[in-house]
Amino acid sequence: MLPITNQYGLFEVRFESIGGLGANIAGKMLAEAGLKYLNLNVASFSSYGSEKTGTPIKTFVRFSDPEVPIKINSPVENPHLLVIFHENLINALPVTLGCNENTIIIVNTKKSPSEIQDMLKIPTATIGTVDAIGISLEEKVKFNGILLGAISKAIGFIKPEHIKGIFEDIIGKKYPAVLEANFRAIERGYNEVKIEKVKEKKEYSFKPFAKPSNLIGYENQIIGGLVVNPGNSFSKDLSASRNGLIPVFNSQKCTSCGMCDIVCPDLCMVFIEENGQMIMKGIDYQYCKGCLKCVQICPVKALTEGVEAEYDVKSMTVKLFTEKDTAQNHR
Amino acid sequence: MAREQVYMVESGNELAALAASQINYHVMGYFPITPSTQIAEYLDELKADGKNTVNMIPADGEHGAAGICYGASTAGGRVLNATSANGLLYAIEQLPVQSHTRFPMVLNVVTRSVSGPLDIKCDHSDIMMVLNTGWLIIFAKNPQEVYDFNIIAPKIAEHKDVRLPIIVAYDGFFTSHQKKKVSVFKNDKDVKDFVGPFKADYTSIDVNNPLSIGCYMNEPDYINNHYQLAKVMEKAKDVIKEVFDEFEKFSGRKYNLVNSYMAEDADVIIYALGSSVDTIITAIDDLRKEGKKVGVVWPSVIRPLPKDQIYETVKKAKVIVALDRQDSYNDIGGNLSTELKAVLQEKGATNKVITRVYGLGGRELYIDEAKELFDLGFKAINESVKNYDYYGVVTGNKETKLPIGLKPLTLEMQDNGIEVEMVNGKLEVKNINLRKLTKQAKRFVPGHGACIGCGIFSGLNTFMRGLKGYVVVLFHTGCGMVVSTGYPYTSHRITYVHNLFQNGAATLSGIVEMYKEKQRRGEIPKDLDITFVMVTGDGGADIGMGPIVGTANRNHNLIILEYDNEGYMNTGNQLSYSTPLGHATSTSHVGEAQKGKRFHHKDTPQIMAGTHIPYIFTGSEAFPIDLIKKAAKAQWYANNMGTVYGKILSACPLNWRSEPKLGTKIVKAATDCNFFPLYEIEQGITTLTYDPEKAKSKINFEDWLTMMGKTKHLIDPENKEILEAAKKEIERRFRRLKIMSEHPEL
Ligand SMILES: Cc1ncc(C[n+]2csc(CCOP(=O)(O)OP(=O)(O)O)c2C)c(N)n1
Ligand code: SF4
Ligand code: SF4
Ligand code: SF4
Ligand SMILES: [Mg+2]
Repeated sequence: MLPITNQYGLFEVRFESIGGLGANIAGKMLAEAGLKYLNLNVASFSSYGSEKTGTPIKTFVRFSDPEVPIKINSPVENPHLLVIFHENLINALPVTLGCNENTIIIVNTKKSPSEIQDMLKIPTATIGTVDAIGISLEEKVKFNGILLGAISKAIGFIKPEHIKGIFEDIIGKKYPAVLEANFRAIERGYNEVKIEKVKEKKEYSFKPFAKPSNLIGYENQIIGGLVVNPGNSFSKDLSASRNGLIPVFNSQKCTSCGMCDIVCPDLCMVFIEENGQMIMKGIDYQYCKGCLKCVQICPVKALTEGVEAEYDVKSMTVKLFTEKDTAQNHR
Repeated sequence: MAREQVYMVESGNELAALAASQINYHVMGYFPITPSTQIAEYLDELKADGKNTVNMIPADGEHGAAGICYGASTAGGRVLNATSANGLLYAIEQLPVQSHTRFPMVLNVVTRSVSGPLDIKCDHSDIMMVLNTGWLIIFAKNPQEVYDFNIIAPKIAEHKDVRLPIIVAYDGFFTSHQKKKVSVFKNDKDVKDFVGPFKADYTSIDVNNPLSIGCYMNEPDYINNHYQLAKVMEKAKDVIKEVFDEFEKFSGRKYNLVNSYMAEDADVIIYALGSSVDTIITAIDDLRKEGKKVGVVWPSVIRPLPKDQIYETVKKAKVIVALDRQDSYNDIGGNLSTELKAVLQEKGATNKVITRVYGLGGRELYIDEAKELFDLGFKAINESVKNYDYYGVVTGNKETKLPIGLKPLTLEMQDNGIEVEMVNGKLEVKNINLRKLTKQAKRFVPGHGACIGCGIFSGLNTFMRGLKGYVVVLFHTGCGMVVSTGYPYTSHRITYVHNLFQNGAATLSGIVEMYKEKQRRGEIPKDLDITFVMVTGDGGADIGMGPIVGTANRNHNLIILEYDNEGYMNTGNQLSYSTPLGHATSTSHVGEAQKGKRFHHKDTPQIMAGTHIPYIFTGSEAFPIDLIKKAAKAQWYANNMGTVYGKILSACPLNWRSEPKLGTKIVKAATDCNFFPLYEIEQGITTLTYDPEKAKSKINFEDWLTMMGKTKHLIDPENKEILEAAKKEIERRFRRLKIMSEHPEL
């Protein structure tokens, strides 16, 4: 029944996602569909420390034939199916580790499979792309139904009806409108995913799976787990947390009242002193998670809501910190 | 004949809850902690759906939870608890009391590392700490066993020849969160029949047979009480075997005190505990194909210690590689291998035992690593290898430094231009201008991992605007702490200390007093001014209320700042005492049989008012000038008169189920509907600093509730009673404040 399995008789799945996009629940639903409709052996779990929205998580699903027990508890190293829940993750994390030419890769993106191949920098693979963000905005649902629809198309053995059945079990009859919307999402994911065996590109190569390694070990960890470089999280890039919307700043309208600076949870606003006056200069999008609290508070509409894909965020970014603000503690 | 069963895909925690629901315990006393929290959550969800009637008591901490459970068990019913890591350690004092006074109950311990550096993932440092408490301990290695052992456990504990409390332990995340195909009993009644009724010999509520529980007992009697327990432990081995056999008939699944796979003829055996065993079995299947004689042995019971069975299953191996997921720092190994070595010594065996401490803090064990450990065992047959070492550590590159940071803030960068002056016994604050304040460098730095639209850092940052000069912060455990210090990063540009959230106020008291003492002794400059701020969530103000009140009573020079997001958000939205009546959380579900939280929100500022500290306030980012003004006053009072307490309301879009962009509006609405009045108590005098009516901003209570998913059900006519009760209470509290505000002496 399973199209392909590894030496342990397992068909293995890895989701690369961000907290809040529903990967954990999608993994459980996929596993449940396998058990309920195909009587497969299944396991699913996620590797997350905390369940904050916006932080990267991985979800793993394993299938095997009923007589083959699933014993492995460690993360999936060589996925048969890799699902990337948000295109922005591709540049942020080494998502393709352990993939090979047989891996099916599904990506939530507007881009085409071959464009995605270039972003992933892999020689070949079967790549499926689906605009889950667009569909989810239209149908007002989370990504999981859409992506599960696309998965079903790509792997074949789980049918869209199976996924619908599991949605019905979970959402139940209590919310018929929600259920209907998710059914449409599943169908649209199934129908709209573009799946292609992309052309081989010799300039790229597969990267083998690597256990999380760390340059900081017992020889150079400062005792007690202390961090002696204050504020070093400034070097992190949080842009993958955004869900497609950004605040857009219009300096012409701004009165530099300072309200946006009060409400911004991610401390992104850049104010600079000019001629003895503090002036709002713009936003450091490296940290902006796109909550739009600043848009809500701005009394003069100097901040408005925009669709990220329509802007060149890089060129709009005003840096909050420059090299002269930084320091390495050599203690 | 085995009873009817059905297949499901569930995690260990879901299954522990399902078993508990089927048994229908009388009472569960609990306090949330990852990764065991879900047990209470699922049990509550099942209760809301009318599947059980377990009386769920949210304690004020694990010490309290253990106390509730102890009390309930003396009253003669079935009692359940679940905890992990620091929670278990916080409860530990209660454990020997319960075992030595012989009241059975069931405690699920979902294993996790014990902090500091705070780590929430799996290892066995917590469970091994309680080996000496006199509780029975059975260890489940996968979700199926979690379910089965939760059905087996009360039957062992309550057995007339045992009468001891029991722990069902299993691995955090690997077992607690991994969803696997499992088989569960279709009918609750079958489970109830298997467990049978429990009739306690002695109870604390039997008025016809009064008794004294927990007498004062010294020598010569005390040692005999302990000897009784030691003998019962011995006896329990037979009882456990008996119950395992009975369970096999009932379920078709067989369990042993000690289990093995391919150990019979193995040259090298791995001796391990928990979820790693399955990975090791997979490695064995591979190695056996290569002709290597390898096997694995694992106990299902660690208290009592089934030493005969352990010896019998490992005795033929040339080398035993003992894997400890915890260390005892004795240069021998963790408890598992130290006890194995003791068993072998007692039996006169000469097998070589190699100990490896592995998998700490959630580090996974991969198949190739299990093979490497077997290879190590083969090597040890003829060569000498280290008896005790760690496996899976990283050396690190000495050249590598921590990610680069920012320059420390100078005094000047932290200035805010605000003036504070005491005029006729009241502080006056001047010169607050939001635009000018943007010049002050921020003490928090972006790059923290809070959810989209989280209100913690906007609220705290607004407060910080009112403080000038050097600040040292201490954070309690909670979202604010977890998201701002993921190693090797920190989002704090000033000095930050984390301590256990039941103890932060005490800890900061110690810091302040050392700072003052060093100043008195001239060891640090007398004119160095530091403002000390303790940041806690509303949950930290539950479990840590004792030390907070203690600190206030001692009146140390510090600020206690609570950001209230109405729940234990870091652990996944369990109710706190500050969660308002009727609000839905993961431990106050809304369903047919239950409609959200059952009691009113705690009025922490008024509790603090009873300590008569110089300054108390409430505030939020929705009223920034008001909050900054209060912060400036707080700094003055903390530095000149003593302890300050402040509460800021802070949006949690994830768990309030509200739109991230609406955070500021929702906290404003909470004030405008009188739920969250803005006021201060300055040297005993209460003043409302904002009156919605006077500001012509008053809104209906319902207008606030409709903004959040967690409260929408309260608008439903069928929940009118709860809505009215909540309204009545907030209006009563508001009127009381208003009257105090109008009275010159209150
Ligand atoms: C002794 C102990 N018990 C339980 C926990 C688990 N725990 C960590 S944070 C937290 C909730 C914190 O709630 P709150 O203080 O309101 O902060 P929030 O997460 O909501 O920001 C809990 C229960 C712990 N770390 N230690
Ligand atoms: S809130 Fe609007 S007007 Fe005020 S500083 Fe920000 S962008 Fe400018
Ligand atoms: S949307 Fe605005 S308020 Fe939200 S993180 Fe971005 S800049 Fe800050
Ligand atoms: S769970 Fe709530 S309080 Fe915690 S980081 Fe997310 S939004 Fe903030
Ligand atoms: Mg809280």
